[in-house]
Amino acid sequence: MSDKGKRKLRGNIEGNARALATGFKYLVEPNRMTLDYPVESMKLAPNYRGFFTVDDKKCIGCSMCEMVCPPEAITMIPRVISTTGYTLPVQQGATQEAGAKPAKKTKRPVVNWGRCIYCYFCFDICPVDAFVSSNIHDLAFYNDADYRPSYEEYLKLPEDPVKKSKKVIPKPDIKRGIKYEPAP
Amino acid sequence: MGILLLIIWLIQDLLYLIVFPGLIVAMVLVILLIYLERKIAAKVQMRFGPLYVSRKVGGALQSISDLLRFSFQEFILPVGSDSIAFLMAPGFMFAFAMMPLIFIPVGPYYSYLFPSTLTILFSVALITITPIYAIIVGWASDNKFSFIGSLREALLVISYEIPLLLSVIAMVIVYKTLNYIPAVAFQETHLPGIILNPIAALVFIIVAIRSTGRFPFDITEADSELVMGLYTEYSALFFGIGMATPYIELYALSLIFSLLFLGGWWPASGHATGLLAGLFMPGVMVIIKAFIVMIVLVFLRAVYPRYRVDQAIRSGWERIIYLGIIAVIISILEAIII
Amino acid sequence: MNLNEKVYDISEVGSIEPEGDREIVLQIGPAHPGSGHMRIKAWMDGDIITKVDADIGFVHRTSEWLSERRQFIKAIPIVERIMLPDTVHANLAYVLALEKILDVEPPPRAQYLRSLAAEINRITSHLYGIGLFGIFLGSSTVYMWAFGDREPFIDLMEMLTGARITNSYIVPGGVRWEMPKGFKEKAESTLQYMENRFNDYNDMWVKNPVVEARTVNVGVVDRNRAIKLGVVGPNLRASGVDYDTRKASPYAAYKDIDFEVPRMDHGDTYDRLLIRIEEIKQSIRIIRQILKDIPEGKIIADSIYSQLNPVMKKVFEQQQRVMFPAFFNQMRPASAESIARVEAGRGEIFFYLRTSGDKYPYRFRWVTPSFRNLAYFTDVAVGYKLADLPAIYGSIDYFPPEADR
Ligand code: SF4
Ligand code: SF4
Repeated sequence: MSDKGKRKLRGNIEGNARALATGFKYLVEPNRMTLDYPVESMKLAPNYRGFFTVDDKKCIGCSMCEMVCPPEAITMIPRVISTTGYTLPVQQGATQEAGAKPAKKTKRPVVNWGRCIYCYFCFDICPVDAFVSSNIHDLAFYNDADYRPSYEEYLKLPEDPVKKSKKVIPKPDIKRGIKYEPAP
Repeated sequence: MGILLLIIWLIQDLLYLIVFPGLIVAMVLVILLIYLERKIAAKVQMRFGPLYVSRKVGGALQSISDLLRFSFQEFILPVGSDSIAFLMAPGFMFAFAMMPLIFIPVGPYYSYLFPSTLTILFSVALITITPIYAIIVGWASDNKFSFIGSLREALLVISYEIPLLLSVIAMVIVYKTLNYIPAVAFQETHLPGIILNPIAALVFIIVAIRSTGRFPFDITEADSELVMGLYTEYSALFFGIGMATPYIELYALSLIFSLLFLGGWWPASGHATGLLAGLFMPGVMVIIKAFIVMIVLVFLRAVYPRYRVDQAIRSGWERIIYLGIIAVIISILEAIII
Repeated sequence: MNLNEKVYDISEVGSIEPEGDREIVLQIGPAHPGSGHMRIKAWMDGDIITKVDADIGFVHRTSEWLSERRQFIKAIPIVERIMLPDTVHANLAYVLALEKILDVEPPPRAQYLRSLAAEINRITSHLYGIGLFGIFLGSSTVYMWAFGDREPFIDLMEMLTGARITNSYIVPGGVRWEMPKGFKEKAESTLQYMENRFNDYNDMWVKNPVVEARTVNVGVVDRNRAIKLGVVGPNLRASGVDYDTRKASPYAAYKDIDFEVPRMDHGDTYDRLLIRIEEIKQSIRIIRQILKDIPEGKIIADSIYSQLNPVMKKVFEQQQRVMFPAFFNQMRPASAESIARVEAGRGEIFFYLRTSGDKYPYRFRWVTPSFRNLAYFTDVAVGYKLADLPAIYGSIDYFPPEADR
């Protein structure tokens, strides 16, 4: 710590006055950035990566998504294809289709929401683009078990938990940074 | 008859101490002030501030809910602490922070618990007692951070007490009295103290910021260095008391400021003696002025970071004390002229 | 201080005994408002720091171990989570190393988009640093401001990638999403907003007398010492060294972009604050250039695109979303090694990747800037006062998980 090249401090009065004036400016003209969350909530862009589900009919059960998933959130569960083209649980499929020609065995992905990191790698690796995205993201579960839906539960997208709130769209703004405009 | 008068006198004084402008009003003001402090800071900081407790009134009950939370928390007595000192010190601190209010009149017709013509002297002297308990708190906690906090407090108190006294002495020289009531009367006939001697007002404000630990002198509780400073080991109501003490001090200092510099109960200085016009109206006037001062001081939180302890001490000895001396000189000149 | 004299005695590591009567040892952290996820042991003589030891590893996340046991593509989210304020750079550094092994060259448009994401990310990362520096000095206002102003930029990232922080935007061969419509206008107004805000930051923070008093001439590292201590990034440039990986070995689109590397002379805490603001200004300049000059074309290398199946190609044409060819799942690059260097927000990331023809990396090694700046922190703080410790610590913009990896 030599004294060489030490800097001098600038004048005090102007700096204090400016700092106080800036503080006062924001006191009388606040630029609020926070969203009053459960009362208002954002309407997110369609490309927002939120909860997603799979198109039961499109999926071919190739397990590529299971393989690519970084946190190993996807489990492939065995299903059988019914005559309608949708899949059925293995036992049910066996009883219903008894007598007919043997049901075609297949697999379908189920996501463990407690592990998923919403990287959407599964979306992009899927050879038939079978995943269906949504931009619902603000959802938590009360029980640990709820994080691991059954396949039937997984097929239904969860409901938007803040559906009743006022939806706003964030708009970049030169003066305020972000302006929340009411969604149409 | 004599006994009856004595009882009335006592009841009046107790009411004065406990209700107005003493404990209850002080607590209400402090709770309101903490809420406003958070709201003001939030406004500057682009956010909402307290909101979810009592949404309808903008979160105004947040401080009360905090108080309740402190009241029902578990109290933890650290193993290594000096338990008696640890338990007693915050109470004493709070009591001594309240004590100056005995000597601070909020109206021209006010009888004291201890009749005195030296009220300015007594109130200022009492204000300087609180830091001793702050030091005891730090010592009793048996925590390095608390200890460092209390050492800092001690160093700062030494460096800022003299300017406080100087600025008060400056005003005493102008008013030629050690009693608040004639001092306010002087301001009513002449000019408010802040115009008579702005330097003294500035010194007093700086010292008030310092001794109540407002930013930029939030040094004893610097959380990025000392966790919570003095109160690191405290929990529950004791922590709450510790937190409220600086605000009570702030209240007392702001009252003194409004009496010495802002003309006290002017313009509500009716010369009636009734309870309403004689005590209440002037009192409300003083308290409004004091509250504005308090709000200005808490607003500083939104503007400043904190000084380093040595810088604060140095500015105390190198700048503020000279300002205090200048203030005294100005006052002497004025006293000669007037 | 002579660096050569400093010998680390292994028996000393766990010791917290004060030396002599005058000293006390402060254990700052790991549960301390001024420490972050680490423990700083400070030996104090009165108010003067005589020795600082940083006890790190509280947030070690085994990123290298995890990545060596997974397919190559899965390391992208892993490295991102180590450098949360700086995800794009971590992602970019890893992908650059991987691309060298796979021998794919992204097309120019993808290069520009990578730089765009990286610069937006640099701004958010610097704002994060400025904000934390603010709270270390006790100014909650700057803390809130910086985090608030980070929001428009995060919004931009969200628009570009669909996620706020953990974007996973860059993949071998290009980027995953095309720039959406209306992005340019939004980006421009955000940039203008930030430029206007600099005045307020100046008045409220940079030129605030208290900030100057706290930071000027505190934690001085001169040029030679900075080089000797292996400082990287803005901290190095604050000491007057003109070194920036974006200039020294350009990656992404930085070859074609005209920008300056800001430099300061004193190397004190105040300079480390100023340099971040200057770099934000430069980033704004770069983003403007990118938005103006970005070439048309594909956002994914042809060698990757040609491996997509017809469904995926259709998706790309309709939604401008790059899907992964199946080979991303079973990459088995031949035995090779590569390095990549990227100038992240806090300094240079160094990546080393060794493959053995297996489907997992043979060796996955990276050195993060925070780790290199930490060594410097323990050295610089000696001789200053206790209250300077948070100032210095805040100014080096240390992010514990980034150092612990
Ligand atoms: S989004 Fe990512 S983490 Fe989630 S299931 Fe798909 S691949 Fe796995
Ligand atoms: S990658 Fe697509 S088709 Fe294959 S199993 Fe997953 S969802 Fe089904």
